[in-house]
Amino acid sequence: MAETPLLTLTGITKRFPGVVANRDINLAIQRGEIHAIVGENGAGKSTLMRIIAGLYQPDEGQIILDGRRIQMRGPRDAARLGIGMVHQHFMLIPRFTVAENIVLGEEHARGGIFSPREAEARIRELAAQYQFELDPTELVENLSVGAQQRVELLKVLYRGASIIILDEPTAVLVPHEVEELFANLQSLRQAGKTIIFISHKLDEVLEIADRITVLRAGRVIGTVPASQATKEQLAEMMVGRPVLFHLEKPPVKLGGPPIGVLEVRDLTVLGAHRREAVSGVSFVVRQCEILGVAGVEGNGQTELVEGIMGLRPVARGKVILLGRDITGRPPSTIRNSGVAFIPEDRQRQGLVLPMSVWENAMLGYHRATEYRRGVFYDLGRIKDRVRSLIRTYDVRTPDINGRVETLSGGNQQKLILAKEMSSSPTAIVASQPTRGLDVGATEFVWQRLLAARAEGLAILLVSADLEEVLALSDRVIVMYRGQIVTEFVPGTLPATTIGEYMLGIRRDTPAPVGGEKA
Amino acid sequence: MKRRWVSLGLSLLGPVSALLISAILGAFVMLAIGKNPLQVYAVMISYNLGQLDSIGSIFYRATPLIFSGLAVAIGFKAGLFNIGVEGQYYLGAFFASWAGVYIKGLPAYIHLPLVILFGIAGGVIWAWLPIYLKVKRGAHEVITTIMMNSIASAVMLYFIHDVFMDQNQGTLGAPRVRMPPIQPTARMPTMLGFLHAIGIDMPNYVAINWFLVLAILAAVAVYYLLWRTPFGYELRAVGQNPQAAEAAGINTKNIQYQAFLLSGAIAGLVGLSDVLTYFGYLDIDFPKGYGFSGIAVALLANNNPFGIILSSLLFGFLERGGLGIQALAGVPREVTTILEGVVILTVVTVTAIIGRRVRAYERHMAALATAAEPPIDTQAPGRGQ
Repeated sequence: MAETPLLTLTGITKRFPGVVANRDINLAIQRGEIHAIVGENGAGKSTLMRIIAGLYQPDEGQIILDGRRIQMRGPRDAARLGIGMVHQHFMLIPRFTVAENIVLGEEHARGGIFSPREAEARIRELAAQYQFELDPTELVENLSVGAQQRVELLKVLYRGASIIILDEPTAVLVPHEVEELFANLQSLRQAGKTIIFISHKLDEVLEIADRITVLRAGRVIGTVPASQATKEQLAEMMVGRPVLFHLEKPPVKLGGPPIGVLEVRDLTVLGAHRREAVSGVSFVVRQCEILGVAGVEGNGQTELVEGIMGLRPVARGKVILLGRDITGRPPSTIRNSGVAFIPEDRQRQGLVLPMSVWENAMLGYHRATEYRRGVFYDLGRIKDRVRSLIRTYDVRTPDINGRVETLSGGNQQKLILAKEMSSSPTAIVASQPTRGLDVGATEFVWQRLLAARAEGLAILLVSADLEEVLALSDRVIVMYRGQIVTEFVPGTLPATTIGEYMLGIRRDTPAPVGGEKA
Repeated sequence: MKRRWVSLGLSLLGPVSALLISAILGAFVMLAIGKNPLQVYAVMISYNLGQLDSIGSIFYRATPLIFSGLAVAIGFKAGLFNIGVEGQYYLGAFFASWAGVYIKGLPAYIHLPLVILFGIAGGVIWAWLPIYLKVKRGAHEVITTIMMNSIASAVMLYFIHDVFMDQNQGTLGAPRVRMPPIQPTARMPTMLGFLHAIGIDMPNYVAINWFLVLAILAAVAVYYLLWRTPFGYELRAVGQNPQAAEAAGINTKNIQYQAFLLSGAIAGLVGLSDVLTYFGYLDIDFPKGYGFSGIAVALLANNNPFGIILSSLLFGFLERGGLGIQALAGVPREVTTILEGVVILTVVTVTAIIGRRVRAYERHMAALATAAEPPIDTQAPGRGQ
């Protein structure tokens, strides 16, 4: 590349109290390329992107755009310089139309009067230019996640961005939508736009990017052309050691026929606004088995899990554990009868963040008599037990008296795993167990789940990450609008077909008469 | 062990620096009214600490505040804002007075504990409706307890004036609006005898009494309850993250119910030190406002029971000092009220700022300890977009 780069960062360092998030970063972005930035959680990707997007000011170093040194005081400066960012969490107003969302903050008014027609026309033009499928008059709340992301992209383009930063754009998309996004990105590249793409999904990065920069511990480890990189090589650069991608999932030998452990019969659970979120779902999880639940998020998986765990009233149907009806029992009873629970949002449902590590390590099991002497807690005994627990589960913490919120996401999840799995359960309900975790911690969680499976536990695994479901499960069910639309064994269906089931384009079970209310 | 001292130091850093800042802000108030702040503070300190009756008075003034602060803190710990301590202690005082006046013929060692139990019952009864409405109907406790406060003050007035007014006040002057005197068997003795016995020559007009010891014991009990029992554990978990508590199998509504009634029970004790020792009867000028002061006390102490003892003493100090600077430095009492407000405001802001720093420091330590992982902060302040 003899060309002078469009954007050059030299010696960028950014410190936060007590930490250095970016350390002496050197990075050159070429005009018209798709440049991926990969790295584990906490590697400093987001901080770096926020510096480029003008949200943070670096403590040291320079940013050179088109040969000129620039200094930005905020995102408005960045926008003026043609830099725009699409955040992982969309910043859209659901009750506004596509056009209203796009022009928000940039409304052109004539004599104080805003003309939506004019804005809509401009957006239509813009969308056509880059072959985006989008109706500017539609309300954002009616759009799919993929379409909402296109709105965010258009928002940035509308403001005249020539450099577009995308923060983990595929994290929220189903396979089919990822393809659409990639097609959009290709056409943007053809139109001469420069794209910076943050991700930790290596397959995607290899598919879409021209060049890839790996960050680790706030430093640049290297930049490689995608055509010459391999997944293994990138993973090693990211983690600092070789990473196994191949999961050992040995068939488990049983003495006799497998016993159904956790059974759900014709379960109906109401969601928000008393709508049926889960409608007549039935399945059995057997011992030594992982049953995966795939599906686009928001298709009743959360309510299914909460219905099973007693956190949400069951409208109809039954939940049966080893032949015992546990439908509608309080969560404590369900836990005590042997169902371990790994909730989908570890910070909101799994932990009490301001409480200490040792207190969180007994959450849910805190009434156990072995923790007490008389009416009072035996702190010595509890802490001894917690220390051995966190050693076994490799939870890294300086001090078990410290607040659990100071731990990294991976260590928080390990702590949840430690307390749930050490309670000798017969079944595990695991919801999004690796969400937001880096490669190392994900590997650990997967191995623990497989180990539990080998020990004979029945595991219900709900995940929005299709790869994860396929890698771990013995059988998979796909949920769409609260129903099971198919069941299959991983490896027997191509990803595109699974995607069609997830989007409701295809179903094995007949749709209910009268259709579902959206 | 070293860490423990570090964290104790850090937790005191907030209140102490806030006090210094509010002293400086208070100085501006005094300058504005043409007083020399150094002189005023000097008067306040010498008046408060230079004479035994002031010290006794500070402890006497702190007594109801300890109960009130504890009541508020229990609510806060369970995620409930009990503004109703005010009304709950009116009712507690009325119940106790009724039992002190009309239950007759009991020896003191039965009568006094019984009267105290009546006070507790009054607080619990007045706390019941708000928490019932909250748990069953989702009515916000802040709204309902404010309403209950208004009702309590009207109800108490009605009882004192219309139902139980003392008709035998003699013929001299206009009769006071008050209930008949509480029987001697129900009066809480002062600590003067004890203090004299251990060689502290406390003047006889100081009403320092055994409710002080009861309040300190209550603080210790609350500490053990919150931090050493499964119930306290659940209460704190519910207060800090009800969703996680529920997922962990804790019956959050039940816990809130019990916590609020406990808060009401302690609130019922707030007024007893005044009624059962100093006044000896419940009258219409019975001291008001302890419930609101309790919110400030709990806030200043960050809901820590031992901190509540200290912050109650601080408020006692300011109140007593207010008398001193009014009499000796010509500073109006209102300045003391302003000072109290300034203390609360600075404590709230300063502790928030320091708390953020402390958490960043803790996170840094945690990151360093995870040796294999680099010291990268994924939740640096300001990053949350």
